[in-house]
Amino acid sequence: MASSPRTAPPKAIDPRGPRFNQAVLATVLLVAFVANRPWAVPVLAGCLLAGVVGGPRFGPFLAFYAAVIKPRLAPPGELEDPRPPRFAATVGTVVLAASTVAFVAGNVDVGWALALIVAVLAGLAATSGMCVGCEIYLLVARRRGISVPRHTAGP
Amino acid sequence: MILARVVVVVLLLFGVLLLTRLYRSWRGAVITDRPLHPLVPAVLLAGAERTWVVFTTPYCAGCGPVEESLRASDPGARIVRVDATREPALAQAFSVRSAPTAVLADADGLVQARLVGTEAVHRWTAARA
Repeated sequence: MASSPRTAPPKAIDPRGPRFNQAVLATVLLVAFVANRPWAVPVLAGCLLAGVVGGPRFGPFLAFYAAVIKPRLAPPGELEDPRPPRFAATVGTVVLAASTVAFVAGNVDVGWALALIVAVLAGLAATSGMCVGCEIYLLVARRRGISVPRHTAGP
Repeated sequence: MILARVVVVVLLLFGVLLLTRLYRSWRGAVITDRPLHPLVPAVLLAGAERTWVVFTTPYCAGCGPVEESLRASDPGARIVRVDATREPALAQAFSVRSAPTAVLADADGLVQARLVGTEAVHRWTAARA
């Protein structure tokens, strides 16, 4: 019943990596807000961008998870397609970039509002697994007929 | 100033925790059979007395364990995995809004139970243990 994908699916990833990334992102953004350190916003945007463009090896938090935390955990029960969380990270990068622009333009309130939106959505994804960006990706993928492969059994 | 920021963060954290609880509760809801459900297609039943149709998504971390849990708890039943993103019409017919959603059908394709979320499946399997 399933249709074959148009292109080879990307290598599946451990879903706990993006969760860790989201948890760190939310925590640092909230701490930066309390401490009034807007420079943390472009730094985090850069970290997200590195992961989006270069893959998990280049995202600092994802790389930290893979190198330090993952070896101490049991293998994941399931792997996931990397495209939905990557899309979510892209959306987060764009919003944090807009937040940075707002800070540079002197509109601090708008800057923090955008950053806090990212913090809340990242926190929600980390604590509940409700990834709004991933849902948006799947919605768009369905409408555009993009075939997303089935999840893969973990090692 | 810093106190106001702390208050904002506390409120945001409270909101995140509330949404997390609501989301988990929604996913864990057990919805018993409703006449709205269509018959499960015969191609999925394959003549089995009982069939679990497990709707999944590509990034669903809990779907595999749910499938294994159902397999262990209901060894006589046939387990069929359906990727909701590849079978959107079927998923829509069974009102699948999140993964995993497990639908139990009898030999005629009549829906006997519908479990939404890992917690609902675990409750169901625990009740059978």
